[in-house]
Amino acid sequence: MLFNSLTFVVFFVVVVSAYWMTRSWEARKNLLVIASYIFYGAWNPPFAALLFGTTAMDFYLGRIMGKQERPEARKVWLVISVAVNLSMLGFFKYGNFLLQNFQWTLARAGIAYQPPHLDLFLPIGISFYTFHSLSYTLDIYRGVLKPTRSLRDFVLAVSFFPQLVAGPIVRAGDFLPQLVRPPKLQRGQFFWGLLLMTLGLFEKVVLADTLLAGSADTIFGYGGPIIALDSWLGVMAFAGQIFFDFAGYSICAIGAALCLGFHLKDNFRFPYAAIGFSDFWRRWHISLSTFLRDYLYIPLGGNRAGAARAMINLMIVMFIGGLWHGAAWTFVVWGLLHGSYLALERLTRVIVGKASWTEHLPIKLLLGLGTYFAVCVAWVFFRATDFTIASRMLSGMFGGHPHGDALLSTREILQIGSVTIFMFAVHWSLRDTTIEAAVNRLPVWLVTGIWTFMAGAIVLTQGNSNAFIYFQF
Amino acid sequence: MPSSTSSFERVIPARPWRGMTVTVVMILALAMAAWEIRCRSLGYGVTLNDSEDLWARVRRQVEPESIVIIGDSRALFDLDLDEIEHGIGKRPLQLAQAGSCAYPVLHDLAQDLRFHGTIICSIVPRLFFAPPQAPPYSVAQKALQRFHDATYSRRFSLLLSMPLEEHIAFLKQDDLTLSEMLDDLPIPNRPYALVPPKFPPYFATIDRERRARMVERCAQPGPLQDRVKTGWIPLFTPPPPPTYIPHDAFFASMQRAVEGRFHDIKSDVDHLRARGAKVIFLRLPVTLDLKALENQLTPRAAFWDRLLKETAAPGIHFEDYPELASFDCPEWSHLSAGDSVEFTKRLAPHLRTTLGR
Repeated sequence: MLFNSLTFVVFFVVVVSAYWMTRSWEARKNLLVIASYIFYGAWNPPFAALLFGTTAMDFYLGRIMGKQERPEARKVWLVISVAVNLSMLGFFKYGNFLLQNFQWTLARAGIAYQPPHLDLFLPIGISFYTFHSLSYTLDIYRGVLKPTRSLRDFVLAVSFFPQLVAGPIVRAGDFLPQLVRPPKLQRGQFFWGLLLMTLGLFEKVVLADTLLAGSADTIFGYGGPIIALDSWLGVMAFAGQIFFDFAGYSICAIGAALCLGFHLKDNFRFPYAAIGFSDFWRRWHISLSTFLRDYLYIPLGGNRAGAARAMINLMIVMFIGGLWHGAAWTFVVWGLLHGSYLALERLTRVIVGKASWTEHLPIKLLLGLGTYFAVCVAWVFFRATDFTIASRMLSGMFGGHPHGDALLSTREILQIGSVTIFMFAVHWSLRDTTIEAAVNRLPVWLVTGIWTFMAGAIVLTQGNSNAFIYFQF
Repeated sequence: MPSSTSSFERVIPARPWRGMTVTVVMILALAMAAWEIRCRSLGYGVTLNDSEDLWARVRRQVEPESIVIIGDSRALFDLDLDEIEHGIGKRPLQLAQAGSCAYPVLHDLAQDLRFHGTIICSIVPRLFFAPPQAPPYSVAQKALQRFHDATYSRRFSLLLSMPLEEHIAFLKQDDLTLSEMLDDLPIPNRPYALVPPKFPPYFATIDRERRARMVERCAQPGPLQDRVKTGWIPLFTPPPPPTYIPHDAFFASMQRAVEGRFHDIKSDVDHLRARGAKVIFLRLPVTLDLKALENQLTPRAAFWDRLLKETAAPGIHFEDYPELASFDCPEWSHLSAGDSVEFTKRLAPHLRTTLGR
């Protein structure tokens, strides 16, 4: 079920009404479990069984692990949990990719092998809910979380519908405590949740789908050389599209959860105002970057074993991060590019040290712009479906096709330009604050006007229900 | 270890939320009412959106012995389902799509081993022989994909949207969405930019069976009719060959694609015929400048005559029958709603004879 569909509107109204009309907290949680499984099963009912299987396995493994005193025994159960979860993810998401690469490797050795094509449907959101579930056994192993006694509570923590299919990656340790006693709505919480849902949908259906997606598709889908202006505009359109698409989903999820009395953490903090790449990853897909930091980077040694080892760790983490997004080498290159950016930044810091001149606003803006353009270069590999397209795009962007084709209409150029400038203005003006603080500062009439404008624009798009980009991950 | 309550709580801005929400709802309701009145005053009536979901809904109704209409917008506008039912004794299902290549749908039906009914296939050669990477082909492919992958959620959304679209005139995905309205802004393009031509504006209604009818404002001479007419020529004119492929190689590849399509159509028709299904091709009226352009780009002998010869399937070409050739298409490409009924009435006996009913 998509947030941007009429079905979801009806579903949400019914679930929220039934939820708040039900007195018993236990009954309310049961209702949310049923609603979450309907939400997920509306795509493909059999996958709900897979979701439940993964969840139940981690619940019981967590329980067993919690009873173990010896660290070695705990480790065994953790390895089982990680292995089963990642095998499931690997089979559905990476099965064909692994076979293709195996075939390629054999071919290099002169062995002709034609692997069978696995006709697999990728269970929607599998990368997200696998991480939701995995965080539970990992935290029990690390000793930062006690196993819950209630399978129902853990099922709800993993499948809670607002965050189930496209994040944020909510850790069981953040959600389970909220299930202990019924939430009390703070003053205005429900309406603030509705406003956040409006904002998320506005970002998705108006900014991402209506104003940017078409141009990005035109440029990345073209088979020939494209001039530099159109190439850059295509990449900038995608940079905006993926932000508004994914951040829009996260904001919707946070808003929907607030309407039900739950609190989810931010997943984005104005990332296009980042100065440097470590700053970017503190602002972009925060739930994934903190997940990789806590469960991969730090266990690998983090930066405790010297600068060289820290850089290698960064590359490993970003390699995994790239692969998490999709079963293709283009995603790996995207991850490694970011790994290189981070390593280079770290190296620069070691060499240059803390330079006070970087604190001046014009320098900050310049560094921010540099960060944005480097991020855009990396987006080329994220969006391109193969290296031929990626290299053609990069060549176009850096002047390799002076006689290439121009594809965008003036209207599209104006749309990309104005949305990008608007995005920068908002990100830079809010980079050191929060949206809540901004709303508190603005006059009531202006907040009301912005809310009305966003809702009106959503109506004018007429239920354009394109799937969110991150569903495929 | 975490305590029994979460340490994390989002900040809720202290604003007069109740009043703000009521204000937003009221302004939005008023604005929507005003927009609805404005759209109706501009001549927009209520109609369903001819979405992939609506198409998939009709496709799901196909039974083994159904009569199915496939093809382009001419089949949508010109064929009246009541008259066909009256003429040949069975109500057909309308699966034609505006601006689409019908070949993927023909192929899909050929692959559907349950199906052994009748296919009435409208032919506009520029569309039917469009290569797989061209927009007409992807229009059909998207609809087929929706049919094969439709989720329960999507089906339910369609059920909810139909009553809304049948009562609200501004719900028009082809004309009154934000993106379509932005596209209509008179902003000149760079002269060298390869920007595709625009589709014609709203000029038809469609019902739950996907029967399209031209609106009266377009059937009568006037600005709407002129806009639609002038829209066809750029749409039917082939785009310039890509700059990055030598012209000879490009035209050779196009020719190979056409030959390949003839081969694929024959193969699919043979499959269908082998299990008792029938296929009949139709060439529906087209007039004046558009007819001249079509005849020039896709001559009858090279496409229509060859199609019938290679597939050995029956065909009805409107020009071969005086009672079918006498209709005028107000905007050169489709019949008016009234004429479509009369046209189908005259076509039905030919269909009956051809199908041996």
